[in-house]
Amino acid sequence: MRSRSLLLGAAMCGMISATAHAEDKSIEVIHHWVSDSEVAAVNTIKQELEKRGVVWKDTAIGGANGANAAQSLRARIVAGNPPGAMQMLGYDAATWAKEGVLRDLTDLETASGGVQSLPADYRRLAAPDGKWVEVPIDLLRSNWIWANKKAFDTAGVSVPKTWDELIASGEKLRKAGIIPLAASDEPWQIAKIFDSLIVDLNGPEFYTQVALKVDDKAIRSPQMVKVFEKLRQVRGLVDDNFVGRDWAVATEMVASGKAGMQVMGDWAKGEFLAKNLKPGVDFLCFPTPTSTPNFLWAMDSFSMFETTDPSLRAAQDELVKVLLDPEVQIKFNLIKGSIPPRLDVDMSKFDDCAKQAAVDLKASIEHKSFLGTLSGGYAAEPQFASIFKEVAAKFFVSDMSAQDAVTLLADEINNAR
Amino acid sequence: MTRMFEIKRYFAAQLPKIVLAPSGVIILIAIYGFIAWTASISLSSSKVMPIYDFVGLEQFVRLWSTPRWHVAVENLFVFSALYLSIATVFGLFIAILLDQRIRAEGFLRTVFLYPMALSFIVSGVAWKWVLNPGLGLQKMVRDWGWTSFTFDWLVNPKYALYTVVIAAVWQSSGFAMAIFLAGLRGIDNSIIKAAQMEGASQARIYVSVVVPMLRPAFLSVIVLLGQIAIKTFDLTFALTNGGPGGATEMPSMFMFSATFERNQMAVGAASAMMMLAAVVAIMVPYLYTELRKPSNDH
Repeated sequence: MRSRSLLLGAAMCGMISATAHAEDKSIEVIHHWVSDSEVAAVNTIKQELEKRGVVWKDTAIGGANGANAAQSLRARIVAGNPPGAMQMLGYDAATWAKEGVLRDLTDLETASGGVQSLPADYRRLAAPDGKWVEVPIDLLRSNWIWANKKAFDTAGVSVPKTWDELIASGEKLRKAGIIPLAASDEPWQIAKIFDSLIVDLNGPEFYTQVALKVDDKAIRSPQMVKVFEKLRQVRGLVDDNFVGRDWAVATEMVASGKAGMQVMGDWAKGEFLAKNLKPGVDFLCFPTPTSTPNFLWAMDSFSMFETTDPSLRAAQDELVKVLLDPEVQIKFNLIKGSIPPRLDVDMSKFDDCAKQAAVDLKASIEHKSFLGTLSGGYAAEPQFASIFKEVAAKFFVSDMSAQDAVTLLADEINNAR
Repeated sequence: MTRMFEIKRYFAAQLPKIVLAPSGVIILIAIYGFIAWTASISLSSSKVMPIYDFVGLEQFVRLWSTPRWHVAVENLFVFSALYLSIATVFGLFIAILLDQRIRAEGFLRTVFLYPMALSFIVSGVAWKWVLNPGLGLQKMVRDWGWTSFTFDWLVNPKYALYTVVIAAVWQSSGFAMAIFLAGLRGIDNSIIKAAQMEGASQARIYVSVVVPMLRPAFLSVIVLLGQIAIKTFDLTFALTNGGPGGATEMPSMFMFSATFERNQMAVGAASAMMMLAAVVAIMVPYLYTELRKPSNDH
């Protein structure tokens, strides 16, 4: 029923736009935002574009963390029929730029003040050869802990300052009848804990060596063994029903007070807000415990595909301007739960968690601890990133020793080189 | 007139070929063409997009030195062996029971066959809930009062694979039953009568007379289920998603993730070729025994 009404709606929208904007510019955009809040957020871009006389033709392909959308893009490019623009994650844009199918957006981004206002580590992925090939719309922080305030109060636990404190507070939560940490066995979810541990225990430079440069010596170092040992302790905080648990289910466990904490990106906030819970009152948000203000980031960006059609090029120009418009970034991120990637926007309308993220963002850039997240694919290249995730997941559920895990990780990565 | 007639006759004779030609062409391109294409990719250095160069068997070497692939292959062997044998034995058992001319046979047959109507995704999700220690079976029995009851295979990497076997057997034994039942009904009653007159017991008749006569049914069941086993993807995907910690990884999942998530298209193609080899290994003996038979045997 739902899909039929969706289809009908889509058909009607198509008809309306076809008649009302018959002479307008239009641009087809592939993305994988299909949930309610995501669609609402996309609509803010759509409306702004329509005001400027450009029709956004929506091709939403959900599922598999964007893998489905990426697959469809591959087919379209092989067929010589790329869309006008596409949402890009991690190394996507850098990969396609190498294939020579992306438009160089450097001039447009410079004119919009985008380039100057974007954090430097992002350039690694957005401008791989010095030319900008993607435009960011949101900035997500990956190393958050979300906690139930009531559970913390009941168990007499306060915000932990170190991972050891966190593990100790887990014991208190358990005594109070609360599952200390809600987690899943899904590799990317475990990798969230894993990459936070790498940077929190050993600092940003070590993280860069291991997760970004995939340096064999750093991966085989005793520090990595310690990371795995700590991960084993964190495993002790998780209940046993975690196989295939959706991240949102784990968030729900925290929201309902069944569990105390969850390590998750700031999209978890959307789930709390949807249940009318208030930050600071019902739930807490704090970065994974560390001494430096580490900020493990992910971004949703758009890339424009090379085309000779002048009206499509004009539509692409408008889309870039809209995406980099501070007002649009504010509207979009207020709905989506993330923060604007531009460093120069006004954060006054955002909630406390987002405000803290913005403060930490600036501090992390100063401390050189603004780093791409491994779990989301913003650190190592895909063929290595998946190995980090798999080994961490395997270690998490089995009784493998920390040393064995390090050896397995290093060997598998060398095999994929 | 005669000329007209000749043309008509010619067309009548050629009609089947003309009708079948388009599907023949499609099969040639969509199956054999793509097999050849995948083979060529597996010998190339393709990463995110196909590259048509030649690097020899490098990708196969890489594939076979990937621990994850070894896990997948071992899992496939264990899974296929258990799945095939349990589903076949169980299906045969139900078929024999149903063959006793019992009342409500039609109803029971539907009940047993029904799981087959569900997609593997649906049964995977349903079994995921049933087998989850905190939601399903274990919780239910514990709530009944047996508090020490433990059934946590789903979350235990050592046993998780067997939960996939349970779900797959549940799904497919009804199918095996249907084929065996058809086979049983096709057996000439007079042979059984003759055995009865010789004084053979019912069990003896089944073991020595009926089951050996079901050879074609056995072959069909094993070949069909064997293919399902090799390409199994959706069931594991829905039930465990390859977890916990990659313990239920299957070759098909490896292929998908290498090709579409890891940007290792050539390695993915190499794994697909290995899977093809496995299917061929099952199909060739089957085709051999089927085609060897004289045609009047059917």
